[in-house]
Amino acid sequence: MRRLGGEVWFGLILLALCSAVAVLAPVLAPYDPRAFSGQPLERPSRAHPLGTNDVGQDILSELIYGARVSLTVALAAGAGTVLLGLLVGGMAGYAGGWLDQALMRLVDGMLSLPRLPLLILFATFLGSGLPQTIAVISFLFWPTTARVVRAQVQSVRQRGYVRMARQFGASHLYVFLRHILPAIGPLIAYGLVTSAGQAVAMEAGLAFLGLGDPLVQSWGLMMRFALNLPGLFLTDRWLWWLLPPALCITLLILALALIGIGLERNLNPRLARRWR
Amino acid sequence: MGVGRRAFVYLLTFWVILTLNFLLPRLLPGDPLAALLDPSSSDYVYDPEVRAALAAYYGLDRPLPEQYGRYLLGALTGDLGRSIRLNRPVAELVVGRLPWTLLLVGTALLFSSALALLTGTESAWRRGSWADRGLVSASILLANVPVYFVGMMLLLLFGARLRWLPLAGGRTPFARYPSALAAALDIGRHLILPALTLTLAMLGAKFLLVRNATVNILGEDFMLVARAKGLPEGRLKWGHALRNALLPFVAHLAAHAGMAVTGAVFIETLFSYPGMGRLIFESVTARDYPVIQGAFLVVSAVVLTANFLADLISLRLDPRLREGGAVG
Amino acid sequence: MMLMVQDLRVTFLLDGKTGLRAVDGVSFDLAPGTSLGIVGETGAGKTTIARALLGLHPSGCVQGSIRLDGRELVGLSEEAWRAIRWRRIALVPQSVGTALDPVYRVGDQIAEPLRYHLGLSPAEAWGRSLELARRVGLEPRHLRAYPHQLSGGEKQRALLAMALSCAPDVLVLDEPTSGQDMLSRARLLDLLDALRREGGMGLLVISHDLAAVARLTERVAVLYAGQLVEVGPTAEVFQDPRHPYTWGLLHAYSDMSAARDLRGIRGAPPDPANPPPGCRFHPRCTQAIDRCRREEPPLRDIGGRWIACHLGGLQTLLRAEGLRKTFSVDGGEPEERVEAVREATLDIREGEVVALVGETGSGKTTLGQMLVGLLPPDGGRVVLEGRELTAARGKERRAMMSRIQLIPQDPFDAVSPRLTVAEMVREPLDIQGIGTPEEREAKVRQALRTVGLPASPDFLARRAHELSGGQLQRVVLARALVLEPKLIVADEPVSMLDPSEQARVINLLKEIQTERGLALLLISHDLALVRKIADRILVMHRGQIVEEGPGNRIVTRPEHEHTRMLLEAAPRLG
Ligand code: SF4
Repeated sequence: MRRLGGEVWFGLILLALCSAVAVLAPVLAPYDPRAFSGQPLERPSRAHPLGTNDVGQDILSELIYGARVSLTVALAAGAGTVLLGLLVGGMAGYAGGWLDQALMRLVDGMLSLPRLPLLILFATFLGSGLPQTIAVISFLFWPTTARVVRAQVQSVRQRGYVRMARQFGASHLYVFLRHILPAIGPLIAYGLVTSAGQAVAMEAGLAFLGLGDPLVQSWGLMMRFALNLPGLFLTDRWLWWLLPPALCITLLILALALIGIGLERNLNPRLARRWR
Repeated sequence: MGVGRRAFVYLLTFWVILTLNFLLPRLLPGDPLAALLDPSSSDYVYDPEVRAALAAYYGLDRPLPEQYGRYLLGALTGDLGRSIRLNRPVAELVVGRLPWTLLLVGTALLFSSALALLTGTESAWRRGSWADRGLVSASILLANVPVYFVGMMLLLLFGARLRWLPLAGGRTPFARYPSALAAALDIGRHLILPALTLTLAMLGAKFLLVRNATVNILGEDFMLVARAKGLPEGRLKWGHALRNALLPFVAHLAAHAGMAVTGAVFIETLFSYPGMGRLIFESVTARDYPVIQGAFLVVSAVVLTANFLADLISLRLDPRLREGGAVG
Repeated sequence: MMLMVQDLRVTFLLDGKTGLRAVDGVSFDLAPGTSLGIVGETGAGKTTIARALLGLHPSGCVQGSIRLDGRELVGLSEEAWRAIRWRRIALVPQSVGTALDPVYRVGDQIAEPLRYHLGLSPAEAWGRSLELARRVGLEPRHLRAYPHQLSGGEKQRALLAMALSCAPDVLVLDEPTSGQDMLSRARLLDLLDALRREGGMGLLVISHDLAAVARLTERVAVLYAGQLVEVGPTAEVFQDPRHPYTWGLLHAYSDMSAARDLRGIRGAPPDPANPPPGCRFHPRCTQAIDRCRREEPPLRDIGGRWIACHLGGLQTLLRAEGLRKTFSVDGGEPEERVEAVREATLDIREGEVVALVGETGSGKTTLGQMLVGLLPPDGGRVVLEGRELTAARGKERRAMMSRIQLIPQDPFDAVSPRLTVAEMVREPLDIQGIGTPEEREAKVRQALRTVGLPASPDFLARRAHELSGGQLQRVVLARALVLEPKLIVADEPVSMLDPSEQARVINLLKEIQTERGLALLLISHDLALVRKIADRILVMHRGQIVEEGPGNRIVTRPEHEHTRMLLEAAPRLG
């Protein structure tokens, strides 16, 4: 591991902070986020540091519990994306031949589509529960990972030691587990972090567009309700209602992106020199 | 790959999309389309005229192959069904909305590309300088901040706080313009904030692309030779470095078109801009399936066309992609 | 004088702190219409010099002086350089494959400098490009092509046309022949040679292709680790290299006509970030003295040749002048004397492999014994490292004799049958009284390992009759090595061995010679054997040296009749 840059540390600390908040939500949150703990649209006060929303729920508690949603999506959709990408990319890279050709055409096709409209279409017909959202995001974002994984698998497969292992009579499974998986390990971490970031952005975006799970109080949903309030921007209410969730999402995405940049630099020292 | 073959691949992709669009609502559990016609469902369409139109369009009582045939025929002749919410043909809605989105996306693509090419090349030329480092850090930030966040900030700053620019809409409602110029000015004023947001949203990624590509190109031998030839700096920077950086830039245009559409959906929603994104948003809220599907098809077609155009430009820019090998 | 480079130094910064001095104090000049070659290994700094001449290094990296017609170029602004580049000094770059911009037509790239420097219109510039193309042997269709459509040779010509476009005063060719196949290389050299003959231009050829430099240049400068070590007329330098590095470089060069196996210079070129102190060549030099490790030798004029060496270049290790030896047959009448060696004169330089070839009875063994001091000559003298061996006496003589060791023909005759291996090898140390018993023991083991023999107690205790001929010859070689001689005289060292052993022992001898930087005089009747390793061959006939010359010349173009006879007699298969 090369020396980590300052921005990577920044990302890791932000992520750790967010995780801590998510885990400790019941301890940290002053109220149950669903309870109607105050009057609608209260301004910030000692009782409600960020005021209340249009139905009288405590915004700070919503915000704290929202971290759980975003992190769940990040983890699940990130893992789903990487798993699919690993499967398809690994298969294409390892098998080669027509299978590789076919899978890569599929990847190209999917990459040339506008993702958000496709996502909306799926979400519309699949329903907007959190599991569905995670599944759809994973399903739409795997091609990027698949392409990177395939390239790496292909280059490892050409290596002498892999061919020698086959020569010694190793099975495909053995070769994959012993030689190929370790070689793409760092890629997996990188893919996980970057697709997790995209997933968070997309989930929040869907919620923002009204395609989120109405039963899960996510940051995206908070933004949507805030924006639904007529004349939100005419008072300073946006300051404690809209800004905090927007800021939280942005910081989480940024944290993941920064960690990704650090990982990428480790993968590709040539690039590292360019960034400096 | 020749032009014909590329066109074929895109047509094939579009056909897959058409089919997906057809199958998705029909194969999924819950049967959302049937619910529209089912009086016991919460999605039941009460207006008998609309209900009749929907039943005719989806033709759910016919066998699947026949439904598919009618659907394809309809899509190709411009029949995209009827909006439940507005009781108007989807095609008509789309025709009204598409120009706005094209205007928004086109403006943003143009500005972000021009800006990225200029600053990216300059930044690479001065790599390692404070200006370069600053721009790179800012671009990493910009490339990763969600577009709706950028939009909200701009909206707050220029629209709500400073009140310099209109908050919403594509033009002043109910305005009657004395001249075409006045109309253009009004539309332009409304365009500024959304287009600025979208420009910023794309600028980060584009800048990084151009800058890193140019840094690589500056290390190439032919750049050293060009310098050795005693060419003026402008010729080196723009004639050789930028000219070569255009190749990866255009190759990524397709991906950027998709990004722009994603951005447009959020931005139009945020700024109540009357484009396709806003249409999709409104239809999603109202569960107006025919409109969602129709809009999706049209957007996909536009993006695929953009991809194809980008390929054609690549072909023109890079002699190595053209046909013909050695001359000898 | 047109181009004058004085004390050029180019320093690159590695990771911002440590400096890497790629070129360190190089000076040369180039007059109009003349040509200069700069040769050296990869990493010696050749390309760095080429780029410095066009001001292509980041400012601040280059120090010293580059003058063009008296005008100082070092420190010029980028703007001022622009006016010099291509109009005054043009470059044909090394990396032919990637030196052309892939997105422009070749003709446009040739025309580009014409338009920017001479202000020609596009049409005029294109017309001139056509002329230039014709001059380098390209056709109009090549100009309309894109770089990826041209072959390597065509690209090289296009780059040449491009460099000639503004009729520069100085043309720098950076590795003009690299990456070209033999045929296009030959055609390119013809073309460049013709250009040179047209005159007017100063031509700087930077290359590790010695044959190309020999063909294209009048003078040559040899670059080692960023410094010039030898400068002189090309023909003379290549014929008679004086600096030890030049000598090694020439001997390492694979020449079509070489009958000899390739010989390397021992060790590897230094790490440029961290060159050795003193003379940069000293870790690889066979004649380095203490001073070489401390002091950098300046480039000095030594008899019309500029050489950077404290010793003034390659040293003569041993010199024999007019050696004579006459034997009387069985104490008979004076008339029945046999003149075994008549007026033999020869010299052996540091690190050189010389073969002395002749039939049985030609006097070569007698000469060899006089050289090592075993046999006093009747006349003439032997000078070893500047001191006369034939006049030395006592302790001085003993010390001098330890510098030369003889490997005799018959190993069984050369060792006592009663001694063990350990005792045999240790004998010279005992005689010279060198070191403590433990040190002697260690030296013995090391010498045995060097010649590829085990140093096990069991082997050390063996006696001569328990060893094979090859093993015994190795023991004799080890015995010769313990005194760390400068010259080994091997008299038919392998003639008693079977053929496969012969090859192995000869290879071993050669290897030890290169690694230790010894000189080797190989006495043999077998031309076929010695030509594989000899740098120089002397042919002896009836007590006289009748022919002398570089190994491959003797083998390919023998001059003396007797040499020809020997060659014909050499064993041949089929
Ligand atoms: S003798 Fe000394 S100065 Fe001369 S080349 Fe050898 S090491 Fe350098």
